[in-house]
Amino acid sequence: MSTFSSLCRPALRCLAGIAAVAGLAAGDSKPLTIWWAQWAPADGLQQLSEDFTKSTGIAVKVHQIPWSSYQDQVFLAFGNKTTEFDIVVGDSQWIGRGATKGLYLNLTSWLPGAVDLKAQNPQVLRYLCEYPGGSGNYWAAPCESDAVGFSYRADWFADPAEKSAFKAKFNRDLAPPATWAEFKDVAVFFHRPEQKRFGCALLTGRGYDSLVMGFQQLLWAWGGSWGDPATFKVTGKLDSPQAAAALGFFKELMAFGPAGATNLDYGKSLEAFTNGSTAMAMNYFAFAPGIAKQMGDKAGFFVMPTQDGRRTISLGGQGLSISAKVPVERQEQAKKFIAWFLTEPVQRQWITKDAGFTANTAILKSEAFRKAAPYNAAFADSLDSLQDFWNVPVYNELLAAAQKRLGEALDGVKTPAAALTELAKEHQDILTDAGLAK
Amino acid sequence: MTTAAAPGGGGRSGSGGWGAAAVVAPALILLIAFNVFPLFYNLILSFTSAELGVEGWTWVGTRNYQRVFERPEYSAALRTTALFVFLAVVCELALGFVLALALHRRFAGKTALLTALLIPMMLPPAVMGLYANLLYDGDYGLLNQIISGFGVAPPQWRTDPAWKLTAVLIVDVWMWTPFMLLISLAALGSVPRHLYEAAEVDRASAWMVFRRITIPLCAPLLALAALLRTTDALKQFDIVMAITGPNDQATQTVSALLYQGLFADGKVGRGSAYACVVLVLVIALATVCTRYLDWLARRQGRGA
Repeated sequence: MSTFSSLCRPALRCLAGIAAVAGLAAGDSKPLTIWWAQWAPADGLQQLSEDFTKSTGIAVKVHQIPWSSYQDQVFLAFGNKTTEFDIVVGDSQWIGRGATKGLYLNLTSWLPGAVDLKAQNPQVLRYLCEYPGGSGNYWAAPCESDAVGFSYRADWFADPAEKSAFKAKFNRDLAPPATWAEFKDVAVFFHRPEQKRFGCALLTGRGYDSLVMGFQQLLWAWGGSWGDPATFKVTGKLDSPQAAAALGFFKELMAFGPAGATNLDYGKSLEAFTNGSTAMAMNYFAFAPGIAKQMGDKAGFFVMPTQDGRRTISLGGQGLSISAKVPVERQEQAKKFIAWFLTEPVQRQWITKDAGFTANTAILKSEAFRKAAPYNAAFADSLDSLQDFWNVPVYNELLAAAQKRLGEALDGVKTPAAALTELAKEHQDILTDAGLAK
Repeated sequence: MTTAAAPGGGGRSGSGGWGAAAVVAPALILLIAFNVFPLFYNLILSFTSAELGVEGWTWVGTRNYQRVFERPEYSAALRTTALFVFLAVVCELALGFVLALALHRRFAGKTALLTALLIPMMLPPAVMGLYANLLYDGDYGLLNQIISGFGVAPPQWRTDPAWKLTAVLIVDVWMWTPFMLLISLAALGSVPRHLYEAAEVDRASAWMVFRRITIPLCAPLLALAALLRTTDALKQFDIVMAITGPNDQATQTVSALLYQGLFADGKVGRGSAYACVVLVLVIALATVCTRYLDWLARRQGRGA
């Protein structure tokens, strides 16, 4: 036993010494740490940041967290005196909470001087970076710009037999639908459950926000809204006849979806399309590169249809926000990174990464970008129509209530009008309780 | 191992007392650190505006409790939880007892069969929930493929509001029927043989024996099992989280609502108020059940 101890003691001392040295070294050169969800664009950001390291000597680590626990982990981390991350790539809806609770660094005095904001899409800036929207107070910089759009079976649409059958039935050419009425016709036409072929897959999942993201595009297009962002008055807007008509139409489309159409989250909608059974599927463009890789020429992409000439699209993506809970020197390094990331040459590199979607208008308008991938043109055409759900500090309560009540309407538990009336009352209570509505 | 037997017979004072304290202290410290302190800390938080990710809080009096009772989601979650607990405990108790009656005899392979039946109980509920997700999948799930094989249109377990709670219930019953089986076997084993022999001499029918001997003598243990499962089922969270997520109207139990309020909405104060109300409900229910157990024990004591 004593021989064993005498052998172990020096080895343990040696190990402790190595650990101490390694710890000191790690502490001294902690890389600039970015937290983001676990997905392809985060890999792209990590690869891109190597160029930043080469030019500045500042190492960058993009720490990826599964989507399912991303929000929980970020806000748990914000509960500490300091955060492990210097930059968080936060969801658009988080910005009100980040801005008003002292979590995000206010970038208003720095961002306009360091980044050419005129080169950024104004809708992306408004919803992803400003709080309140349109106030000119910046709490984030554009990172991943995203929008909801549709993928469709280009091979089915190009099939001569399908084309002539469609023409005979609807007296117009079979093409990606431009209006919601046309969308329904195409969905009806391709819906053949006996052949395991379905018309459309929409975002209806009950988990986090997919049902809200799917439905709100129709809500706005039909002339309804979540409420007045200036007065926070909800009643009369969300429970309007237009809003009920939009929800009624959305519900009608469920009849042309695959099994479980009333509860399709992003993954399930993607699966409904990539398993080859569905003619048209709604999803964020961030999934488009994967679809294009898997489906090849069989897949095409189109922008959200219109209603009475109105096109409104759910904003997606995230902005780069600096933690207000890290030392000033690390915040300065983070600013350096953001300024570098938003330069046009870096943005041109960013769009070469999987789902690296930019908000740079010059790049978005360029023919080179529009033709670089089959989904780029539809994505670029979507950005000017972007809108977002509430991004106030109590967004999550509003979101949870909306997911539930809209779900009840899709499930037939309540009529669209009754579900929206109840939801409007709940939203009004939440906004009043939060001190936003008078 | 009494103090009188200890050398010196020092009673409760002196080194014997310190020794006892030293033995008890670690458990006591852990109990205070992980049970008592969180309980009181939670109670304090329930009267504050504490939020996840935000330093500091202010006192808000009983506002969080008012919100708990004003908001419709809490009463809906209570109804869902009550329905779930009732159905789960009744199904598990009935199935477990019937299985125990079938297994309460000697036969070849009994040990292997019992071991196989106990496996679901030994797996973590979250794992069971994720596993059930694969079985329940509307397109590829094994369950729906089997149902389709009979020419019946299979239900959408995880998406149809009429089936979601049933889907959660099935997994809970699958997991916890073995627990009821074990307790039922112990209860059946505790019934004195001579009572059955006396009934046989009296030519009592099998139903009479079951009603007058088996059920009354097994009742205290079965009631205890039902109490344990009730308090446990009241906290149902893992399976709901795995199958439908915490914010589904059809399956949102009180624990799922608590998670939604505390972690997703970040309202620590209100979440703590939810937790306090749940605690009071569990204590009230447990008190009623233990009183019933005492009453049963007294009744049997008189009968003996």
